[in-house]
Amino acid sequence: MTEPLTLERAKEVLEVFGPVAQLRSNRIQVVTAREKARDALKAALGPLSCERLIQMSVTDAGEAFELTYHLTGQHRTVISIRVNLPRADPSVPSVHDILLAAGIYERQIHDLFGIVFPGHPNLKRIILNEDWPEKEYPMRKDWKPEKGTFYGGIKEEVK
Amino acid sequence: MTERTDMSLSERLATWARLKSPWITIFNSGACNACDIEIIATLTPRFDVERFGILAKGSPRHADILIVTGPVTRKQAPRLRRIYEQMPEPKYVIAMGACGSQGGVFQGLYHVLNSVEDVVPVDVYVAGCPPRPDEIINGVVETLRLMGEDVARGGKEWRKKQPAPPGEPAGEGRKAEVGP
Repeated sequence: MTEPLTLERAKEVLEVFGPVAQLRSNRIQVVTAREKARDALKAALGPLSCERLIQMSVTDAGEAFELTYHLTGQHRTVISIRVNLPRADPSVPSVHDILLAAGIYERQIHDLFGIVFPGHPNLKRIILNEDWPEKEYPMRKDWKPEKGTFYGGIKEEVK
Repeated sequence: MTERTDMSLSERLATWARLKSPWITIFNSGACNACDIEIIATLTPRFDVERFGILAKGSPRHADILIVTGPVTRKQAPRLRRIYEQMPEPKYVIAMGACGSQGGVFQGLYHVLNSVEDVVPVDVYVAGCPPRPDEIINGVVETLRLMGEDVARGGKEWRKKQPAPPGEPAGEGRKAEVGP
């Protein structure tokens, strides 16, 4: 049985990246800037031994996208690393090289939210249909289907 | 159904056989699987559709009736059209459940077309979410009645909606404008 991860231990390692807070008994969140996101992730992977990625989530909060990496390990405490990305320039360096499982989440987020991950080896369409138009991101809150735009499916009428 | 006298013996035999034993194929175009489970329940001995000659086939090339479950997702639409085109004439389509008729709970989402009718012509709708097995059997039997009528009237043309005569306002369209 491994030692549980305490808030003090998490603060020691993650305090340099931004404010650390305990959200629930087994969930610790750190809010950081996007330049430090990679380093915060490395710190969580190494010293805090959170070597497993649960998921990457995105919330559309209006003027910013809240991108969160949820990590955990043998101690079963979840570390959430949150990065706020401005809507005008939503990009954050890819972490595919240090955390392999993040690659497929990044492709999905790129597809549905239009967030760019520089450094990703294969950032192309994964979840939307092949004939979906470019520059349309359906999970954004301000997205509405345009009249007259073809969003994929079938063009020929029913005979 | 009235007997037609201008049909050859082989044609009459084929029609008789078709009405006695409709072969169905099932296509899931993005349903939640509840409809598919109900179809599986229909095939079990409790409901025993083989007493009507209804046989589930794996290939659309062997089938007379295509049962489509679910709203058609944009990815599935070309596949559904291709499967429909593979079926031999005469072919009939049953749209199953609330999703098949107008999208159901998926109506208006970015990735669905809302209705099977936008992709392939539908002959019978089976209501329900999901429909019970006896309602599915009823839908297939209704399709058989349509088949017999079509044979008697020489094609599907008699069921097509006539366009409104000039001067009169067109009838209310099927597609109400829905969406986000």
